[in-house]
Amino acid sequence: MGEKADVWQGTLALMVLKTLESMGPLHGYGIARRIEQISGDLLTVNYGTLYPALLKLEQDGFIESEWGVSDNNRRAKFYKLTRAGGKQVQRETQEWEQTQAILAKFLGVRGEES
Amino acid sequence: MRRLRGWLKRLAGTWDRDRRDAELAAELESHVQMHIDEKVRAGMTPERARRDALLRLGGIEQTKEAYRRQRSLPFLDALLQDLRFAVRTLAIRPGFPAIAILTLALGIGATTAVFSVVDRVLFRSLPYPQDERLVSFGVKAPFEGMEFMLAPEYAVLRGQNVPFESMTSLTPGGSDCDITEQNPVRLRCAVVESTFLSTFRIHPVLGRDFVREDNNPGSPQVALLSYGLWKSRFAGDPNITGKVLSVNGKPVQIVGVLPGTFEMPNLAPVDMLLPQVWDQAALDRNNPRVVLRAFARLKPSVTINQATAGLQPWFQDSLRFVPPQFRAEVSLRIRSLRDRQIEDSRVGAWVLFGAVLAVLLLACTNVANLLLVRTAGRQRELAVRAALGATRARLARQTLTESLLLALLGGIAGCGLAYALLQMFVSIAPEGIVRLRQASLDFRVLIFCFAVSLISGLLFGVAPALSKPAAESLAGRNTSATARGIFRHALVAGQVAASVILLTGAGLLLRSLWKIQNVPTGLEAQHVVTTQITLAEHRYPEMTQQLAFFEQVETRLSRIPGVEMVGLSDTLPPSGGEQATFYASIEVPGRPRLAEGTGGMVGWRMVTPNYFPALGIKVIRGRFFTEQDRAPTENPVILSESLAERMFPKEDPLGKMLRFQTLEHQGPWRTVIGIVANVKNNGLISNSDPEFYVPWKNDPEGYVGRAFVIFRTSLNTATIVPWARAEIGGVDPTVPVEFATMGARVGKLSDRPRFNAVLLCLFAGMGVGLAALGWYGVVSFFVSQRTQEIGVRMALGATPQGVLKMVLFDVARWTAAGATLGLIGAWFCTRLLRSLLFEVEAHDPLLLGGALLTLVVVAFLAAWIPARRAAAVDPMVALRYE
Repeated sequence: MGEKADVWQGTLALMVLKTLESMGPLHGYGIARRIEQISGDLLTVNYGTLYPALLKLEQDGFIESEWGVSDNNRRAKFYKLTRAGGKQVQRETQEWEQTQAILAKFLGVRGEES
Repeated sequence: MRRLRGWLKRLAGTWDRDRRDAELAAELESHVQMHIDEKVRAGMTPERARRDALLRLGGIEQTKEAYRRQRSLPFLDALLQDLRFAVRTLAIRPGFPAIAILTLALGIGATTAVFSVVDRVLFRSLPYPQDERLVSFGVKAPFEGMEFMLAPEYAVLRGQNVPFESMTSLTPGGSDCDITEQNPVRLRCAVVESTFLSTFRIHPVLGRDFVREDNNPGSPQVALLSYGLWKSRFAGDPNITGKVLSVNGKPVQIVGVLPGTFEMPNLAPVDMLLPQVWDQAALDRNNPRVVLRAFARLKPSVTINQATAGLQPWFQDSLRFVPPQFRAEVSLRIRSLRDRQIEDSRVGAWVLFGAVLAVLLLACTNVANLLLVRTAGRQRELAVRAALGATRARLARQTLTESLLLALLGGIAGCGLAYALLQMFVSIAPEGIVRLRQASLDFRVLIFCFAVSLISGLLFGVAPALSKPAAESLAGRNTSATARGIFRHALVAGQVAASVILLTGAGLLLRSLWKIQNVPTGLEAQHVVTTQITLAEHRYPEMTQQLAFFEQVETRLSRIPGVEMVGLSDTLPPSGGEQATFYASIEVPGRPRLAEGTGGMVGWRMVTPNYFPALGIKVIRGRFFTEQDRAPTENPVILSESLAERMFPKEDPLGKMLRFQTLEHQGPWRTVIGIVANVKNNGLISNSDPEFYVPWKNDPEGYVGRAFVIFRTSLNTATIVPWARAEIGGVDPTVPVEFATMGARVGKLSDRPRFNAVLLCLFAGMGVGLAALGWYGVVSFFVSQRTQEIGVRMALGATPQGVLKMVLFDVARWTAAGATLGLIGAWFCTRLLRSLLFEVEAHDPLLLGGALLTLVVVAFLAAWIPARRAAAVDPMVALRYE
């Protein structure tokens, strides 16, 4: 587990939103597991930080929660994306891509010089 | 927007925490279960799976804590927690918070009530735009308290380059006018120049302002209505302008309505504004007849001093028309409108304000002291909390919350008290305290009130909050008692000092009041009833009609059984307002006139023969007037004792001749027929002027449209007044008549000093009470802290008397220090009171001594109770205290 990276601060929210967008309503444990799977188990989610992050997204109005029953018959709180959350995913995705592009160029320049 | 929404959600998250906690617990439990399920499916034992789940979660409790921090506002959470804790700790021992809140309420309540009064007098702007540029200006002469202008001089000034943006004038006196059509009513009218409203920047709510032409003689008469009159008599008729009213029998056209907030600059009540009309004769500089009150708006950035300098050339020029011997006593005066309005109230207002600030200070130090004592008592608890990991900031916040809570509660109670006090002030206040009746607890004052309570809360909250609990306190020993003990004692000594000052001031005003109420007026006020009657000019245009009216009243009243003496006079002592002339204008045959100056004022009254016996004025030599003296050919005069002494110091005044000049004309030669005792004639406080009396005759010297009817009766007032009213009504039922006993008239004159004295006594009482409370608290604490030491002393042979002495000696030392300080303070502060005092020395040693003694006695009484407790300490119990 030592070579696995922790989820970076600030990116967790986007990952949660993206997960909910692609997977539909999901409970906390499911979201965490899904993020780990998509990263090819390269990322490990600190489950303790997941719940405050979910709460914050809910307070901001990006997601909604509802109690329901999971696949293996456990009562769980399910989160789902709101309309505002959908827009937020697009916005943040764009921003993220932009940042990435800039950083890529920057790194590219340094590569040429050295 | 999102941020705000999130913030609001978090705010909401502060409430209903139990349900939210339960929900979170359920969610986490389901999370852990799902984790376990998955791991078990992968082949782990349930125990290991659970351990793994908890590890990955980073601990259930930690997660919950992080979640809670996100759920609500941590700051608010802590605050609520602090508040709950504060309420709980205060409720355990309600004695302390009760005393603290009461003390604060007293301080804040008194301060707020007084501030709402003083605010109106000293600070609040007058109801005119840019009121700071408004001034009253004119000539100050010895015979008139307020500055005035003579119409011709005013007219000259109007044509010159003046430092004023605009100037205006009003005609003083003659305020009564009557609407003479159906429903006749007497109004208060003010006669003003056409520039009046524009100078004060007041705009009529309806119709137009006066214009210059309205002042011209011969132009149609116009008037502006007050808002009140417009609403009450004309039901707010929007088409009122242009309507013609009959005022004093003449047609007057209404051209506009004044705003509801309008107020005359001389604060006189007013129903209608009329324009001045001056003919050429009124503007003759050699024979000035019309007196004006002049006001102006200074040009921007011109100071009053610059304006005074600017008017000097005009003033010097106008002095040419003043008789040479008077010139030295005439001066030019320009002062702000506020200064003119509050003339007499100013000192009183500042004294009240000072006294009440002292009370507030006392209250705050008391609460500070109480809190210090309390914090010291809680050293152990604070030390335990510090040891358990509370940071110093957290502890400080807790302490501050507690003091702010107290301050707020005190502030709320204080506002209630302020309201009650203000009601009391208004109900006991005498006439003439400027704007007192308008004083109310408005928004500004409430803000002030809460600011005071919050600041006091912060002030006395910070000191205990900053002290770091020492580790030794855990042992229950008090280590720092001595150092802060000195501070505490110093605080109480300061209270003693402030109380000495307050007590001295209150004592001075009380003694002064006592002297005023017992000042010999020269009158026998008991069993005397008076009424002032003003005849409407349009009903009694001729002087003979006026005289006939009063003569009929005199005869009819004399017929009532039980009425012993009926007198008439144009004015009535002991308040001022009588007619007056210069001493220098009284001529005695064969004697040179006074070479220089006016010689001061000499008053005179026109009276009927029974005036003297009716008022109980004693004859000293000669005789009173008789009915024969009222014949047109007779010209006798009666002098007051002081005037006789001054005019004829070494001669017999009886039979001497004299004559005097009024503004109007030279009087006839008169023979002195009697000397009567001096009567107070300038109010109770000011020095009386010498005066003389001339008989009320058929060819009067002056105007008799307004006169006083005085009668002495053996019946009680309630019985006689309806009879007298009926008799006067028999002469003319339209004349309004209000009766007042002479006692009430005289009593009214001491209303103002009584008001000041009552308030200052109230505050002094509060001050002493607070100081006593302060000593009680400090000594109690001192004793409880030193119980152990006292026990040791007693075990080693100290007697209870010795212990008592030790405690009281400590109190005595600090009281003495405070009292000395107070004496020095009182020495300086009472000087400010000087203008409010009457025949009392500001540095009365007896009073200072009395105040000191009171304080010492109170201090000892307050210290006695806890000191007795110290003396009753059982050594065995005390030693086991640890």
